[in-house]
Amino acid sequence: MKCKACQTENIEGALFCEECGVKLEAMAMESEGEGATLVLASTDGNRLEIPAKDEIVVGREDPISDIFPDVDLTGLGGMEKGVSRKHAVIHRAGADYTVEDLGSTNGTYINKKKIQPHAPQTIKAGDELRFGKLALTLQAA
Amino acid sequence: MKNELNLRCVMSKDTVLATETEQAVYALINIKSRSGALLGTMPANFALVLDRSGSMDGEKMENVKEAVGYVVDHLSDADLVSVTIFDDQVETLIPNRAARNREAIKAAIANVIPRGGTQISDGLKAGLAEVMKGYAKNRVNRILLLTDGQTWDDEDACLKLAEEAGKQGIAITSIGIGNEWNEKLLLQLAERSHGNSHWIQNPIAILDAFQQEMEGMQAVAATNLKITARMSAGVKPFKVHSTIPMIADVTHKVVSNGSIVADLGSLDGKKGQALLIEARIPAQKAGRFRLGQVEATYDIPSQGVKGQSVKTDLFITFTEDAAAATKVNAEVMNLVEKISAFKLQTRALTEAEAGNIAAATQKLQSAATVLLNLGEDDLAAAAEREILSLRKTGALTAAGTKKLEYGTRKLTQGLTQAMK
Repeated sequence: MKCKACQTENIEGALFCEECGVKLEAMAMESEGEGATLVLASTDGNRLEIPAKDEIVVGREDPISDIFPDVDLTGLGGMEKGVSRKHAVIHRAGADYTVEDLGSTNGTYINKKKIQPHAPQTIKAGDELRFGKLALTLQAA
Repeated sequence: MKNELNLRCVMSKDTVLATETEQAVYALINIKSRSGALLGTMPANFALVLDRSGSMDGEKMENVKEAVGYVVDHLSDADLVSVTIFDDQVETLIPNRAARNREAIKAAIANVIPRGGTQISDGLKAGLAEVMKGYAKNRVNRILLLTDGQTWDDEDACLKLAEEAGKQGIAITSIGIGNEWNEKLLLQLAERSHGNSHWIQNPIAILDAFQQEMEGMQAVAATNLKITARMSAGVKPFKVHSTIPMIADVTHKVVSNGSIVADLGSLDGKKGQALLIEARIPAQKAGRFRLGQVEATYDIPSQGVKGQSVKTDLFITFTEDAAAATKVNAEVMNLVEKISAFKLQTRALTEAEAGNIAAATQKLQSAATVLLNLGEDDLAAAAEREILSLRKTGALTAAGTKKLEYGTRKLTQGLTQAMK
């Protein structure tokens, strides 16, 4: 398979050119597993995508302290609703998700039950996650 | 008791086109402790090996002292600690002992005055000797090495010590402050002993690095972790990279006789470890094909678990249907792209060192493009700055080299706050 950018011959199946790093095949991207991609949906219809990472920090952006959470709840009224800058982290292992409160000021709740800080709890599509006073529903993408 | 660890294997593609030639596939092997599994904390056996050379004066030494105070305050009475300071001589400030009488330890370090040159191997040797005094398989045995300068003519000795440490499961975490030290050496010390490495520009971040190390030590979920991948006939492991915690090419270390045996040291329960294997598979007719078997073995000393094993088989389906063979797993794709940035950066540095400016520039440009695609604007800009430096002076900058070496290796570390 020839790289369109630098003409280097790459082995069949290679994803990026060995020589110049350009993406090789035109491929259909797939997320792993069925229903494994989740989004956080707010009551007023906003949908926040959960990035394809193993550790997803949920909180409020604060450029002054250099805090940039993966899911930023500022736009959904995070400040007023007591969301901490580094509020919780969602762990991903394949198609399994857990949420861990990072010692936030106002706590993290799964289906209205408060979870202990630093003790990851399993979550799945359909669960309501509340960060401080901000409630979101976990939905399949 | 079984399956305290989660072994997850993901292929770049589950379905590939049946061709007449061999082709490449990628397999991600990820190990983490199971969510919520309480595996207990192992007591620590921790040696601090600290550079006290003349250049460590002012803010640097102040922050080191504060960071040592932090460590001492956060170790428990059951932990063992030692403090060794070095310049071109070595002084064992605190020989290996229980982390009680914290005030005495802090008082000893408070009196240290920077002076002298830098001879890392002597410091490392002494630190290793201290760790061995308290060595036990059910402890997290670790060395934290901190320096701000070039060591004098003893790099090979340092590397040998790191190998020795690694074999015993003693991880060395190397911390370099500023820009005047050899990042290749510090990264090698970490790689050979399955430890970590940090680049710190501002002395204020020294405490941060020590905190991270403490957290890492307290999060060790398993020790003596080994991954073995036995490939089916005709399947050739081509390249193997570790990806978590840091990206590194481990091919030469782990591939032999067509199979992969990787010694990974201890497992951070939260962060886990991961390997990415690039294999060449032979031409096959349509149908399901077993690529091989992956096995992870580990010990959990706090629970009396030894040589526990968890296995999984790797499969791939060959098809004549081209449309069915286009789907690529997003997670694996992202990792291969990050490794690509790392490889291009490594080659750029090698070319620059050899004086091949044109080749180095080309590789840096390619690296910048891949980094931009990954959303790593800061690192892409760093690569561009090094291109300018090459044009102006024919050489890379010390700071830029470190930024690229550390930045690309840590592309897989999402949560870690950037060291400033």
